[in-house]
Amino acid sequence: MAPVKLANVRKSFGAVEIIQGVDVDIVDGEFLVLVGPSGCGKSTLLRMIAGLESISSGEIAIGDRVVNDLEPKFRDIAMVFQNYALYPHMTVERNMGFSLEHRGHSKSEIAERVQWAAQILDLAKLLDRYPRQLSGGQRQRVAMGRAIVRNPQVFLFDEPLSNLDAKLRVVMRAEIKSLHQRLGVTTVYVTHDQVEAMTMADRIVVMNGGKVEQIGTPLELYDRPANRFVAGFIGSPAMNFLPGTITRAGFEAGGVTLPLPGPIAERDGQDAVYGIRPEHLALDGEGLEAEVLLVEPMGSETQVTLRLAGQQMIAVFRERISARPGETIRLRPDVAAAHLFDAASGARLN
Amino acid sequence: MNGELSPRMKVVVYGLMSVLLIPFVFPTWWMVTSSIKPISDIFAFPPEIVPSRLDLSTYAKVFELQPFAQQYWNSAYIAAVVTVGTMLFSSMAGYAFARIRFPFANTLFMIVLLGLLIPSEVTIVPLFRIFLSWGMVNTHWPLILVPIFGAPSVFATFVMRQYFIALPVELEEAARVDGLGRFKIFRTIALPLARPALGAVGIFTFLHSWNLYLEPIVFLSSPEKFTLPQALTQFTDAYGGAMWNIQLAAATMTAIPVLIVFIVAQKQFIEGLAHTGLKG
Repeated sequence: MAPVKLANVRKSFGAVEIIQGVDVDIVDGEFLVLVGPSGCGKSTLLRMIAGLESISSGEIAIGDRVVNDLEPKFRDIAMVFQNYALYPHMTVERNMGFSLEHRGHSKSEIAERVQWAAQILDLAKLLDRYPRQLSGGQRQRVAMGRAIVRNPQVFLFDEPLSNLDAKLRVVMRAEIKSLHQRLGVTTVYVTHDQVEAMTMADRIVVMNGGKVEQIGTPLELYDRPANRFVAGFIGSPAMNFLPGTITRAGFEAGGVTLPLPGPIAERDGQDAVYGIRPEHLALDGEGLEAEVLLVEPMGSETQVTLRLAGQQMIAVFRERISARPGETIRLRPDVAAAHLFDAASGARLN
Repeated sequence: MNGELSPRMKVVVYGLMSVLLIPFVFPTWWMVTSSIKPISDIFAFPPEIVPSRLDLSTYAKVFELQPFAQQYWNSAYIAAVVTVGTMLFSSMAGYAFARIRFPFANTLFMIVLLGLLIPSEVTIVPLFRIFLSWGMVNTHWPLILVPIFGAPSVFATFVMRQYFIALPVELEEAARVDGLGRFKIFRTIALPLARPALGAVGIFTFLHSWNLYLEPIVFLSSPEKFTLPQALTQFTDAYGGAMWNIQLAAATMTAIPVLIVFIVAQKQFIEGLAHTGLKG
């Protein structure tokens, strides 16, 4: 186990700067998730920590060693790849013990470590098989087994669940999380799936366009997103946004006035975006009028797509509602849970 | 194609395939049967598909008229050395062109590929002068060195490069994380996974070397140093006329390793070429 420190890390391909100065302190034993849309640079950043990509400037330290110029094999990290990268011509046992073979461990030690990892990951019966004879979930576990046998200082996961079906993804998510709790190894995990990020992370780093948008615990990001990008990226269904103007009477948008969160006297007349999560819209007979466009009953909740103040929005209700498309319902936003963002910069105002 | 062919279509298809087979099978059949016929029966009209009289003495005469066993050994060991050498160099060169980033890699690869465009007839005279100055004429060295560093190896390098390019990069990255250096990655990960391509390279290199004709007739002059394609032309009578039945007996024995290689390794050969995106 070791902390990982990224200080003003940058990466350029020619004239294009892919990573634009990232600063992150990952504490010892932390489960940190890098999340963001495709092309945001999260996988590149992970590969830079692994040593598979060079860095253009800045500093990466694992433990108390700066590893900028170290080959991956000297960084004491283990990595799980998106497509697992299991060696097709080797059995599960050899795949798992391969790194130890090349680090001078004795045969008995390798066998012992492989057995230990196989027990943890329920792979004991599969050790003689080849990767082609395994299911997706089993391959995923072998990839994790290959990582844990070495007892590295840091685990790096590069979208390891993206090739699995939805059901298996949930199972493997829990397995990775419980493995982390059991081993306590510092983990950096890349995903584009914000649900994965929310459910697994101790802290999340939201990236966009090669920059860090916000670092925080899952609930910090959910409850107090630093800007409109984070607000829209974290949460499913996504936060609703209403562009309008801040006035002394409230937030005016599309002919309606919404209650404002917090004191805003000094912002009178400022163009802004009002953000409200789908579950923070409640049915209220004296609320704002909204036209129902689509009703999607999920069983545990009902998701309603509607038009409010000229904008399409989504509301989620725990209770079952009988509204039909074309009908009008009245809604009240939970002002304590509302967010205000600057219209130009997207920065949080409240 | 959906489903099975109807019985009538099967008859038509198999019938057509059988007819198409004739131009491929007949020369081999003619060679083998003529090698055991008296010479007067070879050109008899109408031709005998199945020989009525057998004359197996032709096979013994092949060994009496020339040092055929020595020539057989010459062909075999030269083909083996060329095959192993080409597999070794082409796999390393192919891997380097596919995976190692170095300045002007693509330009260099294009220059290497240009070697394929120059016919061996163009280079044979300069090569002869070079080997003459090295004192290697009438030795087997030209037959070993020219294919290993010449056009056959360029083609093999191209095949190997295409195969290595298609291997997932993540496998090598995983190996780097696992602690392997470049050469170990090549030897323990890339090369074992490239077996189909390596097999194909091995087969066509062996066949190319086994069938090599121009270079032996230019570089070799002593019968005991001849290779088989060259030796086949030497079964002539006092007037230079071909001794057909003996020549065809020698040809039959020459073709045996080729047939064995094809029968044993045809699956590997097709797989290898399929993986590299080349047509057979």
